[in-house]
Amino acid sequence: MLGFTAFWLVSAPRPLPASAIPAHAGNIANGEILYTAGGCRNCHKSNAEQAGLDPDLPSGGFPLKTPIGVLYPPNLTPDAETGIGNWSDLDFVNAVQRGISKSGQHLIPAFPYTSYAAMPVEDVLDIKAYLMSLPPVSSPSREAGIPIAFLLRRGLGLWKFLGLDTAPWQPDSSQTATWNRGSYLVNGPGHCGECHTPRNLIMARDGSRFMMGGPHPEGQGKVPSLHGLVETGRYKDQKDLVLALQNGEVFGYENMSSGGMGQVQANMAKLPQADVEAIAEYLISLK
Amino acid sequence: MLSRNLFKSIAAGTIVLGLGFSLAYAAADDQIKARQAEMKANGKAMGALVAIMKGEAPYDAATVKASLDAMAAADAAAGEAKAWDASSMEGATVETWAKPEIWAEGSDIGAKYQAWVDARATLAATTDEAGFKAAFPALGQACQSCHESFRRPKG
Repeated sequence: MLGFTAFWLVSAPRPLPASAIPAHAGNIANGEILYTAGGCRNCHKSNAEQAGLDPDLPSGGFPLKTPIGVLYPPNLTPDAETGIGNWSDLDFVNAVQRGISKSGQHLIPAFPYTSYAAMPVEDVLDIKAYLMSLPPVSSPSREAGIPIAFLLRRGLGLWKFLGLDTAPWQPDSSQTATWNRGSYLVNGPGHCGECHTPRNLIMARDGSRFMMGGPHPEGQGKVPSLHGLVETGRYKDQKDLVLALQNGEVFGYENMSSGGMGQVQANMAKLPQADVEAIAEYLISLK
Repeated sequence: MLSRNLFKSIAAGTIVLGLGFSLAYAAADDQIKARQAEMKANGKAMGALVAIMKGEAPYDAATVKASLDAMAAADAAAGEAKAWDASSMEGATVETWAKPEIWAEGSDIGAKYQAWVDARATLAATTDEAGFKAAFPALGQACQSCHESFRRPKG
């Protein structure tokens, strides 16, 4: 009983307080860049079974297969009934940075709030401002196809207690401004480490093997290490990596399409030139 | 005596069965190797075209033609070797990164293959650098879209 009480206390959702939300006028243009870098639409894709939906809008409901079952990421358009139209800034920040739903439940970390937690709150509010600028789409959410979802969600609280790092991203003053921009995009919104950093025994990212690659989350094959991209001959230099991120396999860059990287690369292609250069500068510095 | 004959039959049968299996192995392995040879040839041909796109090499109509001819030859050789038959996945012993989805119900591999054939034809019809550069991305996209759906990550 004591053990259960301890579990119940430790696993309780710990949302941010309203005081964590600064007064901030949302910057839609910045929000769009971060939304693109974060690949939000790749998972919040429109429900293929509902007719007449714009596939470019993140209206959710497309099945996302994970090792624990099928998830249907929800509608991110500003529809009041089925989307985030009625969400407060606090609701949104708690979902994106603490993995807590509007109704107060733990969210499954297929949603990479584990990386988004490193972002400044203002950037998260900019993403919300961008989403609120999209046309609302009515597309109801679908229950996850996960057995024992209730207990699992509560258990996630324990996992978060042990493994959710909410430390904000920090610049490195010994590096250039562009390197820092790249580091931020890669480690915050871009959440590259969710696949490129292998996981430890409790399935949290293993910081001691940062970006060193590991088993592919879909079960077959490997996710490559991002260390030594130039030294190992995979890219000639920063310029070459920029071209690879912008053009992917269209320019014959192998391994930019398989295993889900194709979607990531397509997002990189939409980022401003300076941001892709920053990402490349940061990545090739990982020796 | 009977048991000795029986033993002989079983032994012979085992050898025949074993031979049959190893032939199946060899067939699937050869198909996969032919597929990989095709991809290698395509990759090499792509390299020459991409160099022009990136400005690392000057536009040269002869290089474009030679690269497209190499792809056509690789395509034909793979067809000859039945490299894309579903049978290539039965009893193979060499590693392949081809996903079984290629041969699954509702697979659009045929349409994706056709996009590659069409992109080659369009590119072959170009006569100058501007035309080449405008037509090239469709060829790269054909490689990309097939690999995105049908090739699993290596390792």
